[in-house]
Amino acid sequence: MIPMQHFLVLSGILFSLGVYGVLARRSAVLILMAVELMLQAVSINFIAFAVYLAPDAFVGLIFAVFVITVAAAEVGLLLAIVLRIFRNQATANVDEVDLMRW
Amino acid sequence: MVGMDNAWLLAALPAGAFAILLIFGPYLPRRGDWLSIAAIGASFILFFPVLAELLDKIDTPGALPGLSGWTWIEYADFKLRLGFAVDQLTIVMLVVVSFVALMVQVYSVAYMKGDPHYGWFFTCMSLFAAAMLTLVLADNFLLLYIAWEGVGFCSYLLIGFWNERRSAAEAAKKAFITTRIGDVGLLIGIIMLWRSTGTFDIRETFEAARAGVMSEPYLTTAVLLIFAGAVGKSAQFPLHVWLPDAMEGPTPVSALIHAATMVVAGVYLVARTLPLFELAHPAALDLVTALGLTTVFMSATMGLVMTDIKRVVAYSTINSLGLMMVALGSGQVAAAMIYLLAHAFFKALLFLGCGSVLHATGKDDVQELGGLWRKMPLTATVFGVGVLAMAGIPPLSGFWAKDEIILSSSQHQNAFVYGLMVLSVFITGLYMARLFLLTFTGEPRDRHAFEHAHEAPPIMTVPNVLLAVLAVVAGLVVFDQVGEALGFPGGIGKFVYLAEPEAFKFHGGVAAVSIIAALAGVLGALYFWRGEAKPAKAAGARFPFVYALWKNKYYIDNLYQALIDHVVLVFSRFIAWWDRKIINDTGVNGSAALAVYSGFRLKFLQTGRLPNYAFAIILGVVVMAIVAMTVLV
Repeated sequence: MIPMQHFLVLSGILFSLGVYGVLARRSAVLILMAVELMLQAVSINFIAFAVYLAPDAFVGLIFAVFVITVAAAEVGLLLAIVLRIFRNQATANVDEVDLMRW
Repeated sequence: MVGMDNAWLLAALPAGAFAILLIFGPYLPRRGDWLSIAAIGASFILFFPVLAELLDKIDTPGALPGLSGWTWIEYADFKLRLGFAVDQLTIVMLVVVSFVALMVQVYSVAYMKGDPHYGWFFTCMSLFAAAMLTLVLADNFLLLYIAWEGVGFCSYLLIGFWNERRSAAEAAKKAFITTRIGDVGLLIGIIMLWRSTGTFDIRETFEAARAGVMSEPYLTTAVLLIFAGAVGKSAQFPLHVWLPDAMEGPTPVSALIHAATMVVAGVYLVARTLPLFELAHPAALDLVTALGLTTVFMSATMGLVMTDIKRVVAYSTINSLGLMMVALGSGQVAAAMIYLLAHAFFKALLFLGCGSVLHATGKDDVQELGGLWRKMPLTATVFGVGVLAMAGIPPLSGFWAKDEIILSSSQHQNAFVYGLMVLSVFITGLYMARLFLLTFTGEPRDRHAFEHAHEAPPIMTVPNVLLAVLAVVAGLVVFDQVGEALGFPGGIGKFVYLAEPEAFKFHGGVAAVSIIAALAGVLGALYFWRGEAKPAKAAGARFPFVYALWKNKYYIDNLYQALIDHVVLVFSRFIAWWDRKIINDTGVNGSAALAVYSGFRLKFLQTGRLPNYAFAIILGVVVMAIVAMTVLV
């Protein structure tokens, strides 16, 4: 059986990639994809812990389903916002969008 | 049937008149003066059934008191009852208040005619009558205190009735603040009594006090605080300064509020709570006597040199109030109440006489008056009756009443007090006769005013004459036979008492001494102030220091003014500075300014750029992770 640490390492790598993407990318769409990476890293963590530490409980698995659901809704919402910003500002570069400042 | 159980009607009628006048007054014919007079007239008529029932029940033990009341506040164990009760003290006050108020209001119809605030005057008069009748009918300290402040408020309104005159506004303020000093004491005293007895009811308080609920020092403190209220309201030394200034109000107001009714509320309060005074340390009653005597002397001597007729009468009022306090200090409730009754009649008469003079000449300074008896014979006659009654010349009411007080002081006090009382009778005769001589006899000092003077209209003279008749005969009720004839079993002395029935006594020697003193005063005045008043001027020039002392009211007003200027205002200025600089500028505005400034600075943190926020979030998470790892692991 594959040790649990492998899953955790994979999750860590995915999460770090997501963090890097959010910090380094300037395109709103790419940032959204990086956020999805982080969410999936967390999901992997949930499932790994659920299977290895509490095989009889379904809490972790249910949580993973919840994460996917919320992520889907969130992406729908955020893409709509990005689309509107692009329509109004003709850019999806987050450095150039600072309408919500003081 | 109207009786003791619904004696509250006496107070409710003027209160109703007040409410109607307040709202609909301007729309009523004649501004509603008839409504005010009708209400107080009805109260006066309703007094008789109440008196009849009281006389009927007085011999039946337990039938008294006639109680009617209602529960005001009920919360868990706490219950507050307000109610009305009628007893002998109340009866005396009821007849005084309702009758004098009726007379004064009738008089005012002519006196206040043409005043731009004619309707407001009667509105205030109705409120005053309601408050004053409530005060004397109250069976508990709380209602009494409410009415007490009510009459003080009416006094304020009416002294400042002509408030476009600065002196009137100042006098109203002075009266209100000075009496307020005493009122605070009264309130604290009432609360002290309530704290230890758990009741505001006057009778229950007495019973609790007799049962020894309170320690003597505690009770003594409480009654002295209550006495402070009486000192303020009844213009006793050292809070007497407001009453002479209160003469700024219309003369009928002076007659009703500042002579016959409100100022005697203090006497009534002490008489009402006398059982507590008797249970307290004897020094409490001695203090009542001492302050009363001081007041008698200061006011009498100041009355000798004042030239404003209303002020002289005001000083004679303070003088009389002092006498009543001396009587109460000797424990003689009946003597004090009889004097109160007689005083109400002759002092209202004197003030209404002053009003007639003022109305006729427009002058209130005796230096501009004189010789008026030729123009106003009727006013001069009734004023003379008032003067002789106040001076204590038999057989007028003032003599009998004052004689009771002097007799009681000779029996219950030491020779010093008695001697001072006799001396005060002499000075009273002196200054009252002086007032009459300077106003009504001699040569007119202001020709112009004299030529325009005329006798007052009948609506003003009729109340005067009625009061004069009462000022003559009211004193006769001290005789047991007269009392019996009027339906008071065993004479009026057996009727008005609290602890022990006191028969009115007549002691030939004491009476002779007081008659001689009073006559000497009147004759002395004739010597000093007849004609050109040369002997008086000579005496004034001979003792300039004494003259200045009296003329300047013993410098008490100056002392208070200095106290206000150098202590109160200095302290107030510090408080004002503290409030403005520390509380307002630093505390309130300062914290607001700090919030504005920091907000202005910190708002730049909100860049609106997504990468900044993302970086901040991640940085936060990393910091929290490091902290969690180093601290928790």
